Amino acid sequence: MSTLALERQIRPIYDSLDSGSHKSALLACNKLLKKHPKNDHLKALKALALTRAQKFEEAIALCEEVLATKPTDDGAINALMHALRHLGRFADLVKLFEDAFKQQPDNDELGRQAFFANVRAGNWKAAQLLANKLNKQFHNDRYIFWGIMCTVLQANDPMTTAEMREILLKLAHRLITTSWKPAEVHADRLYLFVTILQQLGLYKDARELLNTESGRFHCARNLSCDYLRRDIMRAGDWQREEAETAEQRILSKRDRNWLEFVSILDATFLPSALPNETTCESNSSSPSSFLQRVEKTRDLFTKVAEEDGSHERAAWLGLMELERRCGVHGIVSEPSRLLDLLKRYFRIFGDKAACFEDLRPYTDLGSDVLADWLAFLEGITHSPPSNTALSRFINAHKLLRHGLSVAQLTPDQEEIRAADLVRGYFEALPLEKDLPNLELQPADDLAVLAGQVYANAFTLDNAAAHLHKAIVVLEYASKKSPQSYQIHLELVRIYRLLGAPQLALDHYRLLNVKQIQNDTLSYLILSRSTNFSLAATGDLTYASECLESSHIYFSNSQETSEFIVKAFSMEKYSQISELVVFEERLDNSLQRDLVKIEHVRLRISHEPITPELVDMELIELKFIFDRLHHDNRDLEVLPNYQPRGQLSFLSQTTLFGREPATGWLSAFLKIYIKTLSEASDLDPSVEDDKLLIGDRPRQCCSPDASIPLMERLTIQTTEELSELTENELALFHYVNDLTDWLDPFHNFLRPQGESPKQAPKNGQSSNDGVPSDGNGKKLEDAPPITEPPDSILSYFKNAHAKFTGAVEGRRPFYEILHIATLTQEALLLFFICTKRFKDASIVRINKLGVLAQHIKSLRSSAADVVGQIGAQLINISELEGTADKRRQFIEHCEALQTHTEITHEYVLEVGKRLTESQRKVLEGVGRGIERIRKTPM
Amino acid sequence: MSIIRPFRADDLFKFNNINLDIWTETYGLGFYFNYLSRWPDMCSTAQHPNGRLMGYVIGKAEGSSHDFHGHVTALTVAPEYRRLSLARTLMNFLETVSDEVYGGLFVDLYVRCTNAIAIDLYEGLGYSVYRRVREYYGSLGLGPGGKDEEDAFDMRKPLVRPNGRDMIVSAHDVS
Repeated sequence: MSTLALERQIRPIYDSLDSGSHKSALLACNKLLKKHPKNDHLKALKALALTRAQKFEEAIALCEEVLATKPTDDGAINALMHALRHLGRFADLVKLFEDAFKQQPDNDELGRQAFFANVRAGNWKAAQLLANKLNKQFHNDRYIFWGIMCTVLQANDPMTTAEMREILLKLAHRLITTSWKPAEVHADRLYLFVTILQQLGLYKDARELLNTESGRFHCARNLSCDYLRRDIMRAGDWQREEAETAEQRILSKRDRNWLEFVSILDATFLPSALPNETTCESNSSSPSSFLQRVEKTRDLFTKVAEEDGSHERAAWLGLMELERRCGVHGIVSEPSRLLDLLKRYFRIFGDKAACFEDLRPYTDLGSDVLADWLAFLEGITHSPPSNTALSRFINAHKLLRHGLSVAQLTPDQEEIRAADLVRGYFEALPLEKDLPNLELQPADDLAVLAGQVYANAFTLDNAAAHLHKAIVVLEYASKKSPQSYQIHLELVRIYRLLGAPQLALDHYRLLNVKQIQNDTLSYLILSRSTNFSLAATGDLTYASECLESSHIYFSNSQETSEFIVKAFSMEKYSQISELVVFEERLDNSLQRDLVKIEHVRLRISHEPITPELVDMELIELKFIFDRLHHDNRDLEVLPNYQPRGQLSFLSQTTLFGREPATGWLSAFLKIYIKTLSEASDLDPSVEDDKLLIGDRPRQCCSPDASIPLMERLTIQTTEELSELTENELALFHYVNDLTDWLDPFHNFLRPQGESPKQAPKNGQSSNDGVPSDGNGKKLEDAPPITEPPDSILSYFKNAHAKFTGAVEGRRPFYEILHIATLTQEALLLFFICTKRFKDASIVRINKLGVLAQHIKSLRSSAADVVGQIGAQLINISELEGTADKRRQFIEHCEALQTHTEITHEYVLEVGKRLTESQRKVLEGVGRGIERIRKTPM
Repeated sequence: MSIIRPFRADDLFKFNNINLDIWTETYGLGFYFNYLSRWPDMCSTAQHPNGRLMGYVIGKAEGSSHDFHGHVTALTVAPEYRRLSLARTLMNFLETVSDEVYGGLFVDLYVRCTNAIAIDLYEGLGYSVYRRVREYYGSLGLGPGGKDEEDAFDMRKPLVRPNGRDMIVSAHDVS
């Protein structure tokens, strides 16, 4: 068959792939491969079809087969490239293109692709060498700059030593200096040059470069260059000159960028310019000249502020910032000056929603003027009703709340304040009664504020009644303003605190969190989700939420490097480092692995503990353990309106008062790696190839990465211990004791044949617990059987005592559930850790009967305890969701029913949903425990 | 009082207060990175001095020689920072870059025909309706506003010379 005819037959395969018909693409490939069994293009297409059909193992095998032939055919290379990219095999991509380029060294395109492949894999050194080679061969300026950029990236790689970094930066400097053509400068090349100078501390050279004609041209038009210029001026100590530029921009160009005002303020308060009485340094200026400078700045800002009036806030805030800094440096100023400014600002901008945030940093007033300020704010009302008056009223309330002293924060007073806010909310609602439901009600902030006041009252006396009122108000507000994310977020936090996870999840879902937001916001709902999960009863809501929120990490590894490549090809050097850092931050996201560990915790409670599960999770968790994590969680998403010096609303509504972070993650990784390692037969030396998707994650330069993993697992850091709750810490110690006790027996029974066990494939078991030398008998004897440490059984007994104490002490439901779910987890970990000793024949052959007896008795006692907890939970659940509980809820919210909008039926409805949700989770967790206890492991 | 600075990749970690608003879409990573890797100078963020992001604009330069222009792809301001002229500041920035860096002839943008507030804003900034694009927002289906809900106005502001207006084209004819 001619090549043309074959091409004609191949085309439909592309069409099938494009339209997502992987099956028909596969069939067509197989059919054609019968006739052309050695055709690389067809094989590569089949590999691509297999990848798209999620048949990764077959795809990888085929990819490797084609790779080995070092294809040069465009079609084969392209298809293979797509397959490898989908599989995340960036190292193979490098090989593909480097081999092809070696065979066709005159092919510029292949050379570029080989460069890009190295960029995707983050091989900066190889990429740099290749860029130099491309430049020598094809003489193109851009290749020189690619090489320079790669040198800078290599210098800033965390694995590069400080000495090497210096050498590399100097190399980059030399290269860029020799190839610099001032007439052909474009913004991003300039940016690259200046960053090299900046990193070498050559600020003077950087300034000169920025002061050239092209430098000034780009700084005036390119924000990145101008931003960098500011950094250089600051680093080089040229704040005075920068202030002159800023003044000119403010006056002649009417630039109101806050950065200009900061430049002037920085120059006014330069450390060297401050009159320093204690050190009397020769370069410090005299008090009078310093005061003159302050006066000059004040005059400038006053002039601009008067001119701008209500059009711009910058100069007004500049004036307040000036007073604040004067205060910081102990410069006596008119005490009423700041107060006057605050009042004036409020009069001009009090109707802007941002007014509170603008003024907050300047409201730390001395007692002499504070009363005056508070009296001013108290005089702000929202009558006659209008949106402007309402905004002022809201801002005044936020500011008043911010200024409350500790003595004013009693639960009763907070209740009065909340009631005032709720009254204000209902009075203001009619203002926009006909607003379409996609718009936000101007009164929303009053409900949001009330929610925070109630939460603070709860923090003060732990009475759930406050939170009940909060949800009644917020639920109402969310109906009036269904799109207000702040209202939904407050409800998410409060429902979790009340132990009503389904309602929290409902509101979270209304936020429509997607894409990157999964990384930054999923902590709101998934943090310690094991606490509320009903996975043991087969309800996989949280488990699937964990999986869904993790898709973004796959997108990151698939997509971000493509845009790094694109930034190279478009020569946007200002973006490359930032994209590289972004990719790294998302790849090594703390939230990613917190969700991962939650998912493992949920998984073991509903899936059978198969050897495959044990091995695959173990491999993944070990990789995670060596990651250097970045915390990308957006902890600022919810505005905080709690008084200064108090815990923020977010902290107040965090379960157990602490959000899991790196210490918590590390402790749970240790718990699981230790337990799974005992159960697994995998030989560590063969694990690297097991990650079917993607390359082995790049290892961090962790200071103790040289210590063997198993040793590192035994180290306990204070960070870990401080992030765990008392009950989590008990689980941590329990697992330590359990694994220490059983470790010698696991080691004895674990196969130690000459060929280590291979990774599990297609669900086949590799872990049969039988020693490997044919008859299953080892030469040496079993280690002497030891009694189980008392701590194992006492863990369960203590947990039960704590559980009963929490129930009797009427602790919040989330605390009761916490003890219950952790005890359930302890039992599951016990199952995993002792599974090997369940096989009667192994026990008999290895004379481990006594050990098996110990395990059996422990298991039965532990299961008994867990069973009692489960039964108690079911008992408690029967008391929830009853008419009694609903009546209680209505009583708590009686005061709110003075508002005609809050009817008895409405409160009843909210109460019914709350108590029902609480009942469901208590009962569900109880039933889950029952199931686990009875499951034969 | 806002900091006007370049839009950076790591703003994606912090733009929740802007993007949780119903009117702002959160796209896949590729959307933002496509703009950053090609027209980073047409993307800018407004930031409050306390660190919170206030809004951003994302744009591009496109078209062939006779209609080369700047395009506003996304312009958004968080609800709590509205009515501070931030949109105007960000649009001014994009117009200046379109004109002085790219030599664009005009700046254009699409806006839902029902979005009266936005249309007023753009008219105040010197934009006028150039044509109506049928079913530009078709995927959402007919809302209470009927056809107006689906159709978009292509609004333009000349940088160098004025363009015609009052044409109706189909969604297929626009990029």
